[in-house]
Amino acid sequence: MNQETLQPNLEDLNVIVSGQGGDGSLTVVNLLASVLRKNGMSVYTERDVLSRIKGGITAATLRAFSGERYTIGNHIDLLVAFDIDAVPKNLRQLNKNSIVLYDNSGGPLPDGVLGDEIRAFGAPLSRQAVKTFRRDIYKNSISFGLIGRILGLPDDTMRISFEDRFKRMGPQIMKYNLDALTVGLSLADELGYVEGKGLYRIQKIERKPHMLITGNEAMAFGFSVAGGRFYAGYPITPSTDVMDWLIKWSPQFGGVVRQAEDELSAINMAIGSALTGTRTMVATCGPGLSLMQEGIGQLGMGEIPLVIVDAQRGGPSTGMPTKPEQSDINLLVFGGHGDFPRIVLAPGNPEDCFYLTVDACNLSQRYQCPVFIASDQALSQNTATIDPLDLQRVVIDQGKRLDSATLSEVEVYKRYLFTEDGVSPYTIPGTPDGMSLVTGNEHDEFGLVSTDPVNRVRMVDKRQSKMKTMLPHLPRAGRFGDVDAKIGIIGIGMTFGVILESLDTLADRGIDAQYFQPRTLWPMLEETIAFINDCDVVYVVELNAEGQLAGLFVREGADASRIRKLLHYDGTPIRSDAVVDFVVEDQNRALGEEEVA
Amino acid sequence: MTKTFTPARPIWCAGCGDFGVQQALESAMKNLNIESHNSMIIAGIGCSGSLQNNVRCYGYHALHGRVLPTATGAKLANSSLTVIGVGGDGDGYAIGGGHLVHTLKRNPSVTYIVMNNGTYGLTKGQASPTSPNGYGENNEEDLDPILLGMSIPGSSFLARGYTGQPAQLLDLTTSALEHAESGRGFAFLEVLSPCVTYNDTYREWRTDVYDVEQDADYNSSDKTAAFSRLMELREQGRLPIGLLYRGERVALEQTALNHEFPPLALQDIEPGKLMDKYQKAMESFMR
Repeated sequence: MNQETLQPNLEDLNVIVSGQGGDGSLTVVNLLASVLRKNGMSVYTERDVLSRIKGGITAATLRAFSGERYTIGNHIDLLVAFDIDAVPKNLRQLNKNSIVLYDNSGGPLPDGVLGDEIRAFGAPLSRQAVKTFRRDIYKNSISFGLIGRILGLPDDTMRISFEDRFKRMGPQIMKYNLDALTVGLSLADELGYVEGKGLYRIQKIERKPHMLITGNEAMAFGFSVAGGRFYAGYPITPSTDVMDWLIKWSPQFGGVVRQAEDELSAINMAIGSALTGTRTMVATCGPGLSLMQEGIGQLGMGEIPLVIVDAQRGGPSTGMPTKPEQSDINLLVFGGHGDFPRIVLAPGNPEDCFYLTVDACNLSQRYQCPVFIASDQALSQNTATIDPLDLQRVVIDQGKRLDSATLSEVEVYKRYLFTEDGVSPYTIPGTPDGMSLVTGNEHDEFGLVSTDPVNRVRMVDKRQSKMKTMLPHLPRAGRFGDVDAKIGIIGIGMTFGVILESLDTLADRGIDAQYFQPRTLWPMLEETIAFINDCDVVYVVELNAEGQLAGLFVREGADASRIRKLLHYDGTPIRSDAVVDFVVEDQNRALGEEEVA
Repeated sequence: MTKTFTPARPIWCAGCGDFGVQQALESAMKNLNIESHNSMIIAGIGCSGSLQNNVRCYGYHALHGRVLPTATGAKLANSSLTVIGVGGDGDGYAIGGGHLVHTLKRNPSVTYIVMNNGTYGLTKGQASPTSPNGYGENNEEDLDPILLGMSIPGSSFLARGYTGQPAQLLDLTTSALEHAESGRGFAFLEVLSPCVTYNDTYREWRTDVYDVEQDADYNSSDKTAAFSRLMELREQGRLPIGLLYRGERVALEQTALNHEFPPLALQDIEPGKLMDKYQKAMESFMR
């Protein structure tokens, strides 16, 4: 039997590339992702960065999977460390099968950093880069030669991926990078990793063309295809990529992006645009959402449609700008003073981000209220492979909009007409005879200020009644796993991929569970409460300390005694082993209690 | 013909300067043949922030201080609309002061009329940013928003009127609307509009105002000279009125919008219309 047949097929690979910010870790991961995608694998990448431009230990993580995964795996197969400090920082994700490749230009790894079981290889990446190219930055291209050889990528494949990646940067940069790759291949030879002797056999999986996209990009794209034409924002991590994508693309669709002086301005610019009938969106995260609260109340009172993306990050206050959290749920559902209707949607992967943003645009105009999209840093910024989106599925519904023709059939036009469903027809400025008054004051049907108590009650009730009207039209939950299982798991945002992987692991360990992904958080749908109350036990997985999601379910009628809260708020993305361990331990405890009883 | 709201009767005190501002605005709109259904008045919070209720056109009552971002958003979204912002000195210079700076800098083709009475009338007479040092408890120097505007390189139209001089106020309002209508950018008109209840300044202002249009040496297109003269007048305790500065700056919507398309609000957004472009965007994720 020759060596090659002993190599397993590459089915699930997790690689961390870590170093000082600016070392180019992300470039390496992107290159690797591109090669593995071309072989038909699904890839998922994650960034662990700091809120500074350069420096500090940062990491980019890649998972390549032969099926479908929307999370990084529990164990890292290969850690590439451009800085020795990156090794201890990522230690907890390593196991005895892990390989560490580190830059030993500054000396060997101190004894005792790694256990005896973990294989570690030092290579003078930085020294070679400086020696050969007079530029430290080429160390990442050098490392790629080593990484490819360790994993078992053919040399040609690596070269082609470099040519693809650097072709737009000119022949000189291309040459340097290809030379750097060759330096890396020689270093690999010295370490004994010759071509064809890597860890895996990289098989080609037949797969139709697919997309590599982040949640933020998918929301920006969904907004555009849904006819979104005006975006206003103030740069704030981790939502800024929404604006970046739209700056590049929206003008090609006839749209405009405005960077405002602050979030107060951003949401009010958005309101100005929304008043003209233009589909409008803002994206922000906790601190910006706090500033936008006055505008959100205005949307409620004025019955103005707007889509608001919240890419949640560690709070409160400035918190942890680059870390995922889901601690804005209370703010999304209850933020702002006064009573007013709103919709809160919660996507789970980039595909969901796209379609739910389309829904958000339609719902905002149908029900003339704010529609939030609750994302989080990980869902917003991590990349995932998805099948091409079905653009034909996008249907535009602008609700009860009156144009000149339909308006002419109306004898008296009242912007805030009392109707059975609570939704009043609307005109847009420019429509002859459609003049209206829109206001944040309590008002009569014409929009004129009113404090009359009878009118007040009718107006509040009219607005609130939209919550009931919209119920049948709100996005339904995603259901996964064994639908007869009495063990349920609930989670939103980045926990989507984590929980899906947990279901598989739990099934392997003999525990049947099902995952309920609520895609509408507010108004609460009956199906969500029914799911909880039909299960024996429901694990609610969320990234905050208070259990805001679980609290919301209980408030809306879920049986609290069935709920077990798995709360994760250390700023790291939760992994599936945490969910599996939590469920298994709880089940064992329950079993133990039964036996005692 | 469909009937819609009947414009309200003003809620202002008898003698309030805001009556004159509304009259000048309505007359100027009429003189310029600005269609009521094609115009939108965006009003702030405060006594002056009820003006939109009294005029037959599209009206929006903004959040306190947010007239200008709202107006900018509306103009960018539908550049064929006449967008007029109105409000008071508290709304525009205190809570909304930051937005004034950035709107002057952006230069969108909207008209902004601030009814400056040097006090917070609706909350019963507290100091505003334009109240002089010594007004009530106020121990801060007053702000001159025109001088602020002069210091911002993007500004293109700065004027001050006085409700005690209605003919000039009408001219200035007309010029301001024309400036914005012709796509030359942000027309900022401050109107000295006395509050007869909490800060009745008719008598002082009558003597303090200095009409630069009567001054043959005043050159409203020479920013440096104009700035210097306005500073001098301020030091003399005078309140300059008239067209104080007018310059040529590219308007925001000229550069911000893709002019191959109709105004955003008027586009046909059926996905089929741009399917090839959306497809291209999708393909950018497939490489």
